[in-house]
Amino acid sequence: MTFIWQGVREAFSMLLHPTPDLLSILRVTLELVLWATVLAMLIGLPIGLVLGLGRFRTRRVWLGLANGGLGLPPVVVGLFVALLLFQSGPFGGLHLIYTVRGMVIAQTILALPIVIALTATSVQAIDPALLQQAGALGASRWRLGGFALREARIGVFVAAMAAMGASLSEVGAVVLVGGNLEGETRTMAGAILTSLSGGYYAEGIALGILLLGLTFLLAAALTVVQHGSRSTPTSSVRYLSTARR
Amino acid sequence: MSALLTCRSVRARQGDTEVLRGVDLELRRGEVAVLIGPNGAGKSTLLAVAAGLLPTSAGAVERGGRVAAAMQKPALARRTALANVELAISWWEGRRRGGRDDRRERAMSALAAVNASQLAGRPAGSLSGGEARRVHLARVLAVEPDILLLDEPFAGLDPSTRADLLYDTASAIRSERRATLVVVHDRAEAWALADRVLVMTRGRIDAQGSPRQVFEHPPTEEVAEFVGFTGTLDEGDSVLRLRPSDVELDPAGPISAEVLRRVPLEDGVRLDLSTPKGRLVTVAPEPAPEVGTVTRLRVTGGVRFPSERAPAPDDSASALLSGADGSRTGTPASRQEAGR
Repeated sequence: MTFIWQGVREAFSMLLHPTPDLLSILRVTLELVLWATVLAMLIGLPIGLVLGLGRFRTRRVWLGLANGGLGLPPVVVGLFVALLLFQSGPFGGLHLIYTVRGMVIAQTILALPIVIALTATSVQAIDPALLQQAGALGASRWRLGGFALREARIGVFVAAMAAMGASLSEVGAVVLVGGNLEGETRTMAGAILTSLSGGYYAEGIALGILLLGLTFLLAAALTVVQHGSRSTPTSSVRYLSTARR
Repeated sequence: MSALLTCRSVRARQGDTEVLRGVDLELRRGEVAVLIGPNGAGKSTLLAVAAGLLPTSAGAVERGGRVAAAMQKPALARRTALANVELAISWWEGRRRGGRDDRRERAMSALAAVNASQLAGRPAGSLSGGEARRVHLARVLAVEPDILLLDEPFAGLDPSTRADLLYDTASAIRSERRATLVVVHDRAEAWALADRVLVMTRGRIDAQGSPRQVFEHPPTEEVAEFVGFTGTLDEGDSVLRLRPSDVELDPAGPISAEVLRRVPLEDGVRLDLSTPKGRLVTVAPEPAPEVGTVTRLRVTGGVRFPSERAPAPDDSASALLSGADGSRTGTPASRQEAGR
């Protein structure tokens, strides 16, 4: 049990006196999470929207693929991405193996099905009568898409959270593609793996506590953003109060 | 008055079922036409086709202006009532949309037109069924369409809320610049709203005319039954269709009838009666005869149609009125006015 308390003490010590190594790990982790989440949202939202709203023949097949993608084994994704990015691979010339950008590609592939499946599901949950009414009032496809995303915003928010969570905690793919290089491609999860395999349990626990803290911090930030947009009085209510005055 | 919406021999399918089977319809500027008919007749499908939401399988729909439709379900977005109306205006105007202040003014005017100004700041989720329907109506009025289509705007409301909304709607939807088509289920609603009533059965418009014309002189037995002529007397070469008010219990009456069923009503008892020539319905004051009693009655009105067994009717008996759009709408062979 003592190494657990040691770990907790070390975590506070690391927070109070962060080393350059820890700062590098934090920077790489945040960079990976940010880019992988942003890319997965940029690519996944339109696809999820089309799958949620569209009525084309192969829609169910694509939805099935997206749902199946939720269970993609990270190690297998990492292996395939690494094989593609190796110097001798088809994309070797891009020099992305053992780089943060390569890790972002692998992590985006893992987060994409999450965003697509959750967006499609939440868009499908919108009352069809509401979308039909928008069409009956002349809403264009673009406006209908934007409106559907806004109506499904809670689901979209959950998709962003899930994509972010997956990027924060994933180890297999990022280690295979990034190489877990100290000071370059080592993330929090990779650093925990290294500590534990080296027998440095207290350090591993400390990093684990920091990773948990980071996860909650990012989730809290997103929740504040979400609640902020819900609790802010709408412009129409502001208009009404102005008109009454 | 020019036609803003014209349907010519329109056919349309819902899945494998052909729902519209050759509909001819003209809707003119300034008029309010009301479409009634039994469930499954194709009313909502016709509205969807007219709105351009459902493709036709044959025939043509010509629109002389922009169409806005309020669908049957008053589905509102998760925002305030006012924001819902503003949203409708921005959908309608697309890229050509005007300023936000202008949208708000128009949205507030539309809410005021349906007596819903007080709902403006309320979130859609907190509105009652009747309130949501008012906002739903305000939404389509706010966009000021050339052709306004309303699909059962009073569905699912309690009688008192429905009556209030009906009277407000009757005044709010009238405009000299607009053609309006409203689908309703109830004859009272049609009376309150319509310049012209269209009766639809089995995918076709079977009758059209003023409410009095259609409800007092239905052209076919099917339309007669739908508009309340539920009693039938088979008289050999003709069939007399009768409303409950056309049948009176009278001990000296010429027709003998057995009471089959009694249903108490607010203003008397509804009696289902069996006569040698067919079944009739009447409403009698209490004390009314019991089930199984044989009583006597007279009929004081009704509409007569040639019997299917009778030889081909002559010209006078099958006189057909041309509807406003030139479609065939029939009149009954004769109207029974005297007591029998």
